[in-house]
Amino acid sequence: MSDIAHDEHLHESTGIETRKLAMWIFLSSEFMFFGALISNYLLFKGRVGYPEPYPSEMFDIPFTSVSSFVLLMSSLTMVLADHAIHRDDQRATRTWIVATALLGMVFLSGQAFEFTEFVLHDPPMKISTNPAASAFFTLTGFHGMHVLIGVIMLLTLAGTSFRKGRLSTATGLNLESVALYWHFVDIIWIVIFTVVYLIK
Amino acid sequence: MASTTAPASTIFRRPKQTSGWMSWLTTVDHKKIGIMYGYSAFFFFILGGLEALILRLQLAGPNGTVLDANEYNAMFTMHGTTMIFLFVMPVGAAFFNYMMPLMIGARDVAFPRMNALSFWIFIFGGIFLYSSFLFGTTGPPAGGNLPGGATDASWLGSTINGGWFMYQPNAGPRFSTGTVLDFGAIGLQILGLASLISAVNFIATIFNMRAKGMKLLRMPVFVWMTLVVAFLLLFSLPIIAVALFMVTFDRQLGTLFFDTFQGGDAILWQHLFWLFGHPEVYILILPAMGIVSETLPVFSRKPLFGYPAVVFAGAAIGFLGFGVWAHHMFASGITPVAQAAFGLATMTIAVPTGIKIFNWMGTMWMGKIKFTTPMLFSLGFVALFVIGGLSGVTHSIVPADWQQTDTYYIVAHFHYVLFGGAIFGIFAGLYYWFPKLTGRMLSERLGKLHFWLMFVGMNLTFGPMHWLGLQGMVRRTWKYPEEYNFGTWNMVVTVGAYTIALSILVFMINWVRSKRRGAESGMDPWDARTIEWSIPNPTPEWNFGVNPEVQALDDWWHRKYDEDDEGRPVRKAEADATIAQFHDQGVNPPAPIHLPSPSYFPFLAGSAFLAIGYGVIYHTKGWGLPLLAFGVILLLSSMIGWSLEPIEEEHEEVHA
Amino acid sequence: MTTDAPIKPHPSPKQYVQIAVILAVLTGVEVGLYYIEQAGVSSRIVYPTLIVLAALKFVIVVAFYMHVRYEKSLIARFFTVGFVGALMLYTVVLGTFGVLAALGG
Repeated sequence: MSDIAHDEHLHESTGIETRKLAMWIFLSSEFMFFGALISNYLLFKGRVGYPEPYPSEMFDIPFTSVSSFVLLMSSLTMVLADHAIHRDDQRATRTWIVATALLGMVFLSGQAFEFTEFVLHDPPMKISTNPAASAFFTLTGFHGMHVLIGVIMLLTLAGTSFRKGRLSTATGLNLESVALYWHFVDIIWIVIFTVVYLIK
Repeated sequence: MASTTAPASTIFRRPKQTSGWMSWLTTVDHKKIGIMYGYSAFFFFILGGLEALILRLQLAGPNGTVLDANEYNAMFTMHGTTMIFLFVMPVGAAFFNYMMPLMIGARDVAFPRMNALSFWIFIFGGIFLYSSFLFGTTGPPAGGNLPGGATDASWLGSTINGGWFMYQPNAGPRFSTGTVLDFGAIGLQILGLASLISAVNFIATIFNMRAKGMKLLRMPVFVWMTLVVAFLLLFSLPIIAVALFMVTFDRQLGTLFFDTFQGGDAILWQHLFWLFGHPEVYILILPAMGIVSETLPVFSRKPLFGYPAVVFAGAAIGFLGFGVWAHHMFASGITPVAQAAFGLATMTIAVPTGIKIFNWMGTMWMGKIKFTTPMLFSLGFVALFVIGGLSGVTHSIVPADWQQTDTYYIVAHFHYVLFGGAIFGIFAGLYYWFPKLTGRMLSERLGKLHFWLMFVGMNLTFGPMHWLGLQGMVRRTWKYPEEYNFGTWNMVVTVGAYTIALSILVFMINWVRSKRRGAESGMDPWDARTIEWSIPNPTPEWNFGVNPEVQALDDWWHRKYDEDDEGRPVRKAEADATIAQFHDQGVNPPAPIHLPSPSYFPFLAGSAFLAIGYGVIYHTKGWGLPLLAFGVILLLSSMIGWSLEPIEEEHEEVHA
Repeated sequence: MTTDAPIKPHPSPKQYVQIAVILAVLTGVEVGLYYIEQAGVSSRIVYPTLIVLAALKFVIVVAFYMHVRYEKSLIARFFTVGFVGALMLYTVVLGTFGVLAALGG
C-alpha cells in the first residue's frame, strides 16, 4: 500500500519520508482500536456469576510466556532486517525478513494451539461462554489477525526480493513501514501479556 | 525523476484510457475521484431526501396511514444513515479531494491509488448498505414473549431499522432477528474503512506535499479544517470499528457483549458509539466551516479576521469534541459526577465555536460585501448555525436535557446545525468552486431562487420542530393522535420539507444547464485570494503548470493587490499581466510533468468488500463461506498485485 | 534513503542484540513476579511492578526498535497523541463503569 504522487520537485515538507509518516499516522489510530478491545476485557473480566470457565482460570502462563518471548525476539530480527536494508545488504535483509515471518508464524501457531485448548477443555471456554470470554477471544483474535497481516506483508517482501533479486527502498511496499507495523503489534502484545495474562 | 524500476509485469496490462468509463474506473487523479465522490454523494442525498419526504407524508396529519410502524422505523433509520454516512461525509471527501491538493499547491494527494481505493470502498459500502432493501429480512424477537418489531413483508420495511445509532440490545440478535442489522453493522464498517484510509492519506498529504513556502500557518482555513477532520476520523473510526465488530460478533458468532440477559452491557455500546458519534458531528460540520472561511473573505473583499484564532478554534473544537460524548447519555443513568463534568465540558465547546462566529462577523464588518449566491449560502450558514448552536447549548444543562431527550427539540437542533450548517456550507462551496470543475459559472438567478426557497423551506421544516418537541412530541414516533394538537405544526413542517425538495430541483436544473451553457468563468471569476484560482479553469490534468511558491497567507491576492496607507486594497498595475502569465503557464507547462498511472487494483480491492460483507452475513448458508473466501483472496491478490505495480509507468509524460 | 537521514546514528546490530537481551530479562522478571504473587506476596506490590516493567519494555521497543529516539519530534508527537489520547479516553470510560475503583481496591 505504498505509492507516492511524485514528480520532479517532490519534497517532503516535514522531512519525514511519506510512507513512513503515513504508517505512523495509521499506528496512532490503532491505539484507539486496541484500547477499546482491552477496555472491553477489563470491563467484563470482573463480572462474575455467568457460566464458567473464565479466561483467567484457563491461562497457561509458561506456554504464553514462551510465545510472548518469540514475538519479542521477532522484533529483534525485524530491526536487523531494517538495519540491513539501509546498508543495502540484500542477503542479510532477506534472511532476517524470513526469520521474522517464521517467528510470527510460530506465535500464531501458539495462539491457535491455545484457542484449541480452551475450546476443547471440559467444560469448554468458547467465545459464547460468557462476556469475559467473548472479550478475551475478540482481543487476542484481533491481535493475531494483525500478526497474520504482518506475516503476509513480510512474505510479500521476501517474494519481491527473490523475484527481483533485490529490495529497493525507493518504490513498492516499504520495509521500514512494515517494520514499524511489526514492532507496533509487538508492543501491543507487551501490554496484553501483562494486563490480560499476568494481572488477574 | 522517472521511475527506474523494471516495467510492470503484473497480472493485467496497465490501463491506459484517459476518457470513457474505463478512465473513471481506473483513475487515480484526485480531481476525478473528487467528482465521483460528489456525484455519488449527491445521488445518496436524493435517496435520503426521498426517505425524508415519505416520513413527512406520514406525519403531515394525525394518525397517518402512509407507513406502518416498521416501515417508519426503516425509513428514519435509512434517512439518518444515508445523510450522515453516504452524503455529508463523502461530499466532504469530495471537497477535500478536489480542493485540498490545489490549495496547498500539490500535484495530487500523497497516495493516489489509496485515494481511489477509499472511493471504491465507499461506493461498494453504499451499495452494500442499500442492498438491504432487496435482501434484508426482519423478524420477531427471539425467545418468547419479548416486545419488539414484527416481521415486515414490505420491501420498504425490510431495511435497516435500528436508528442510526443502533442502540443495543435492541439492535442485537435477541430483539432483531432478521438480517437487516447485519447489513447495517457491516455496511457502516466498510464505509468507516474507506474514511480511515482517506484520513491517513489526507494527513500525510497536508504534512508532506505542501508547495514551497506553504507553511502550516499560510494554509487556507479550508485545508486546516480538512486536517482537523482527518484527525477526528483517524481517532474516532477505530472506536466505532470495534463497536461494530462487537455487534457483528454478537449477531454472527454468539458473543455476549451487549446481551444484557447474559452479562452483556447496553451502556458500553452507548459509550463506544458516542465516543465515535460526537467527533462525528464535528466531522460533518467542520468542512462547511472551512468552506465559509474561504468564501466570506472573498465576497467581503477583506482578509479573514483573526486567521490564527479561526485555525486554533477549529483545532480546539476537534480536541474538545473528544471529551463530551457522554452528553448524549444524560438520560442513561450515568453518575451525577459524570453528568456534571460532561455538561461543563459541553458548555466549553461553545467558546471556540463563538470565536469562529465572531471572526466571521469581523470579516464582514466594514467589508464591501457582494451578495452572490455562494455568499448568500455562507450567510445562511452563519445565521442558521448560530440558532442550532444555541439550542445545542441548552442540551448541556442536564435537567433541561432530560426534558428534551428523544423529543423533536433534539431533531430540530441537529437539523439546524447539519442542514442549516453543513448543507448550506456545502452549497456555498458548490457555487463557489463550480468554475474550477467546469470553467463555467452557475446561474446566479436560479442560484438565488434556490437559496431563498431552501432558506424558507429549511426554517419552515425545522423551526416548528422546536415547539413540537417542547410540547412533548416524541422523536421517532410513527403517528400521533389528534387530541395532542400536533397536527398544525406538523403540516407546516411537511410543507417546509417539500419546499426544500423544490429548491433542490432548482439546483439540479441550474447545475445541468450551467454545465453546458453557463457563462464562461475565466480564470479568477471571484477575484479570489487562494492559489487554487491561480490556475486555469477547468483545472488542467496536471494542476499546476509550474510548481507554485507561496510567499504569504492569501498568496494569490497579494500577487494582485497592494494596500494603501489606510489598509484598503489597491489593485496592482501589473495584476492583469500576472493573471495572464499564470494562465499561460497553467495551460502550457514549460517542462514535462509526470503523473501517476491509472490502476485496476483499487477498484478490484474495493469490490472485494462486497463479497466479504455478503459472505459474513450468509456464512451459515452453503455459499456464504466460499464467497467470503473469494472476497479475502480477491482482496489479498489485489493488494499484492498493487504492491508490485510501480506507481508510474515510463513514458507517461503529459505534453500540452 | 537520503530523504530521511537520521538526526542521530541508529544503533549497531550488536546494540540491537543487547537491547533484546534486556527485553528478554525483563520478560523473565515479569513471569517470575507472576509466580511470586501466586506464592502469596501481596498483589498491591506485584501488580504495580508488573505495569512498570511492561511500560519499560514498551518504551524500549518504541525508542530503539521503532527509532523514535532518532527521528524528528513530529513522530514522537503522533505517537504520544494516539497513546495518551486512548489512555485518557478509556480511563474515563472505565471510570464511569466503576471498574477502576474495583481495580484499586
